[in-house]
Amino acid sequence: MSSVEGLSTFLASTLASVEYVFSRIPGSAVLVRYVKSSHQNDPERTILEVILILFAIFTLLQSRTRANPKHFIKFEQKEIDELVDEWAPEPLAAPLNAVEASDLAAVPVVVGQNGPKPTLVRQPTKIIANLASYNFTGLAGKEIIKERAIETLRKYGLGSCGPPGFYGTLDVHMALERDIADFLGAEAAIIYSQGFSTISSVIPAFCKRGDIIVADRGVNFAIQKGIQISRSTVRWYDHNDLKSLEDVLDSVEKERKKRRGPLTRRFIITEGIFEKDGAMIDLPKLVELKYKKKYRLILDESISFGTVGRTGRGLTELYNVPATKVDMLIGSMANGLCAGGGFCAGSQNVIDHQQINGPSFVFSASMPALLAVSASEGIDILRSSPSILTKLQQNIRVARSILDDLDCISVPSHPASPIIHMHVRKPSTPMLHPASAASSGHSLKPSNPASVLPRDASTWDWDIEAEERALQQVVEEALRRGVMITRAKRLRGQEMVEARPSIRLALTSDMSVDEVKKAIKVVAQAFKDVLRK
Amino acid sequence: MSLFKKKRSSRSATPVASYFAALSKAETQINGIGPVATPALSLSSSVTSSSEDTILHEEDMEIDNSDGLALPAHPPNSSEVFSTVHTEFGHCSNGDYRYISQHIPGTPVPAHVDKDPPYYILFSTYISYLILIVLGHIRDFLGKRFYPSAYRHLVPSGGYAPLNSDFDSFYTRRLKTRMDECFSQPVTGVAGRTIQLLDRISPDYNHHQIFTGTQTRALNISSYNYLGFAQARGGCADAVEAAIREHGISSCGSRLEGGSSDLHVLAEGLVARFVGMEDALISSMGFATNSTFIPALVGKGCLVISDELNHASIRFGVRLSGANVRMFKHNDMGALESLLREVISQGQPKTHRPWKKILLLVEGLYSMEGTLLNLPAIVELKKKYKFYLFVDEAHSIGALGPHGRGVADYFNIPPRSIDILMGTFTKSFGAAGGYIAGSKALVDRLRIRGHSGAYAEAMTPPVLTQVVASMASIMGVSPPSSASTPQQPLEVQPYHHPGPAPGSALPTWLSLPPSLADGGEGRSRLRRLAFNSRYLHQGLNKLGFITYGHPASPIVPLLLFNPGKMNMFHRLMKDRQTPIIVVVVAYPATPLVTSRVRFCVSAAHTKEDIDAILRACDDVGDVLDLKHGLRPGERWSIEDVCARALELVHQ
Repeated sequence: MSSVEGLSTFLASTLASVEYVFSRIPGSAVLVRYVKSSHQNDPERTILEVILILFAIFTLLQSRTRANPKHFIKFEQKEIDELVDEWAPEPLAAPLNAVEASDLAAVPVVVGQNGPKPTLVRQPTKIIANLASYNFTGLAGKEIIKERAIETLRKYGLGSCGPPGFYGTLDVHMALERDIADFLGAEAAIIYSQGFSTISSVIPAFCKRGDIIVADRGVNFAIQKGIQISRSTVRWYDHNDLKSLEDVLDSVEKERKKRRGPLTRRFIITEGIFEKDGAMIDLPKLVELKYKKKYRLILDESISFGTVGRTGRGLTELYNVPATKVDMLIGSMANGLCAGGGFCAGSQNVIDHQQINGPSFVFSASMPALLAVSASEGIDILRSSPSILTKLQQNIRVARSILDDLDCISVPSHPASPIIHMHVRKPSTPMLHPASAASSGHSLKPSNPASVLPRDASTWDWDIEAEERALQQVVEEALRRGVMITRAKRLRGQEMVEARPSIRLALTSDMSVDEVKKAIKVVAQAFKDVLRK
Repeated sequence: MSLFKKKRSSRSATPVASYFAALSKAETQINGIGPVATPALSLSSSVTSSSEDTILHEEDMEIDNSDGLALPAHPPNSSEVFSTVHTEFGHCSNGDYRYISQHIPGTPVPAHVDKDPPYYILFSTYISYLILIVLGHIRDFLGKRFYPSAYRHLVPSGGYAPLNSDFDSFYTRRLKTRMDECFSQPVTGVAGRTIQLLDRISPDYNHHQIFTGTQTRALNISSYNYLGFAQARGGCADAVEAAIREHGISSCGSRLEGGSSDLHVLAEGLVARFVGMEDALISSMGFATNSTFIPALVGKGCLVISDELNHASIRFGVRLSGANVRMFKHNDMGALESLLREVISQGQPKTHRPWKKILLLVEGLYSMEGTLLNLPAIVELKKKYKFYLFVDEAHSIGALGPHGRGVADYFNIPPRSIDILMGTFTKSFGAAGGYIAGSKALVDRLRIRGHSGAYAEAMTPPVLTQVVASMASIMGVSPPSSASTPQQPLEVQPYHHPGPAPGSALPTWLSLPPSLADGGEGRSRLRRLAFNSRYLHQGLNKLGFITYGHPASPIVPLLLFNPGKMNMFHRLMKDRQTPIIVVVVAYPATPLVTSRVRFCVSAAHTKEDIDAILRACDDVGDVLDLKHGLRPGERWSIEDVCARALELVHQ
């Protein structure tokens, strides 16, 4: 009896002291008055509020990283120890198989300066032509660029030792940004320190969850990765087919109207000249379409910048479309100017936005000064000598005139493209094949925009491995005869759509017409010898 | 240098004159003695043709030492010859100002502790953000009604959704813009011990910046130049010049498609030896090393365990990989172990299948906190829990360890007890790009599976050469065993980690000056960096500041807390007689309350430079009320700190 009494007095005194302390807290009277009056007016509300408070506390106490508690199994410590002992991970990386190892060993390694006639490691034959490396306008061998680079080295050292935000922005970077913007006729530009990482950073800087991306099915790997990381809603249209693009844009608009969703950002993402097959888009039509449907255009000119147009300004120059009509124009200084890095050109707003939101701009060290100066110098050279581009285009025409006559290959690339892809052509003509005969007609129902796979993917009947082996033989055969070429290397299993195996030539203005003729004939002969076996 | 001599006669400032008097005296003595007498302690060099080269190299500049940056504090004595330009790499011949960066066996690795300031600081910090946010919203509310044109790019117009909504950009517009003068400051010249700022002003509250056309030289405690290899003169720059003549600027393509050169192969061999792994792979961008190779390591069905403060590039790579991710509390080994026990016992979500692989992603040295990875504990955990270990040594490679080989070297742990070592060349090597190193099978797999191999441009020859030259200077180059034996291929040459680089690891056209080739200068740089790091860290602590991080870390964060103090700290440091530029960071790079200054110490700094920084911090700290780490009675005076530097460092 006494213990109960003691307990109740203890409780009463504790309650009294708590009450006293509470009343001393400034503002407590207001709270008490509020609770009292609200309870008086609406007792149910008190219950609701108490539940809400309890729920808030419960949520706060929940471990945020804990996996779904529904599936959580409780184990004893001993059981965990056993499970830990039992668990055997897969090896971190499987060793290369014989084919992969021989492929890797067959990658050409240049000694000294790369250029039209390089020396190769472990290669007895004299190389008469390099049709593998990207040296489209021959800037790699220009002495004037080297001199300017050395001058820059002597003033700036090599590395910039910091990201652009923290004392990594050099005056030469700003000069290059201005040079690019002027060259293209855009309002402003921003430079990234690697070409590949440019577009995969530009896309997530603008496209967020809920935004809509309409992209070509044939876009390159960097764009695929950019789209993946953006977490936007993606719709795909048929490769280089503007009719299909229009259909997809219409269906997206219809979908939005049906759902009465809010207006989100909408982007069309495609390439100028496709890295995967060398096809070229019809820029004027694309621009017309994007204005009509009110989309923003992200255009990757990594291959076409520095290689097409009168002075190498790219597709905008070739088609005479002002660069300001392309919202984000991405190019590569590594490919087009033989320097390093990539850029994005656009309006001032677009550029400013990336300076804070482009992940690989913000979190990466800025480009070495001498690469920036080399790029600026490259632009100067292109601007002042249009003959370089004339010569490049002439070499491309010469190469195509020979390759187009070759009946054992098919060439999907545009006639003006500096990269030329070549597939193996099947001995049986496509019309005899029932599946391909059906797909060649446009009567088929349109492809599903939500899937990246083309509508005729199910009918693809090429044997990737066999074709790769055959093409590799062609590469090695050509090399034996002194012409360095390469298969288009693909990350099998990681691409969204497996590209058909191809050999990719990269033409250069740094070779004479006769040299190109000779080299291409060697390639053609290698094809004939290998594929007709 | 004839122009230079002319100026010498025209200038009459006493320190300059006396400096040159001493210098020429030293020079005549050296010339008298001849090149054999190379003193043990100095950064000796056989290049003695013109020691004046080492003071300033810009011929169009007046030598003005009013900021105390152009000339060393002490003129050199007869036994010293310096081969570096003082503004790029400071002259310091005092052998006491050296320290060896290594873990003392048996001592615990300090955990990361959040030191809290007094409550009024926390309170005022929250209030500051509250005021900023409220004011920002009021301005947005009124602005949208009265100046719609200024908001046009933030609202839907003409059927287009805004590129950037006013909500998403609120922080940038209303908070960051206020302190924009601290960010993206353009510079010119070498990011060495000092740096040239392009002066700018803003007439309209940071909406636009206008360049005044003038330049200011400032003491640089902000660049990631840990070993001071950001130099326009010296052995490494000479090597790069030779490389440009020999190899040109560009590699012309990706590694697998015609962009590989013998220089790549050599550099990768050297990197593998430097870090003590079987093989290594080089990528042309540091960010891309993580973002393009992590997806090649793990995928669906794999688990990535990631420190909560890992760098954005790691997060980017992990997101691309499609693997599951779990995070653990920063550098907290207890949290890591309990997480490991949970994930291994639970298996994959829903299906409870065992994980294919578990990859632990950690950094050797964290770039915002200066925390050192607790590698000994992790290696122990690894034995029990069988996860794979990936250590990002972006900041620790070159900067830590008695041989500069990073965090494993610091703890004297064999590097091969780690599965994957990743690092960048931007920081300690004064170059650009990154590497990933591991077993031969792993690296070969990454060569063909990593995104960079097939698609990204290969590293350019000048950058590769800077990597090779600076790395060989840190390692030292072993002399050829005997001249008569033909050079063996690199693969078969024996190498003992951490030893000197084999002579065949360098291109034949590359010749390093003797001071670099014998590793003497590299060693001296490592020790100067270790001394400077400890000195700044302990000095700031003794002055009463709250700092984070390990004392050995060249990254020294000093906590400011209040957002308003960031701008002030930056400005007060920059406007001093000896201008000092600092990096201030705040939310979202750090937690909301812990805004900070981040110092990046370099081997290029002299003890006097660190003194100057400490003095400046002492002054500014009093003005801004920053000394909350120690009670007033426990603090040391600035004079004490400078005088007792050795005692502090050897504590």
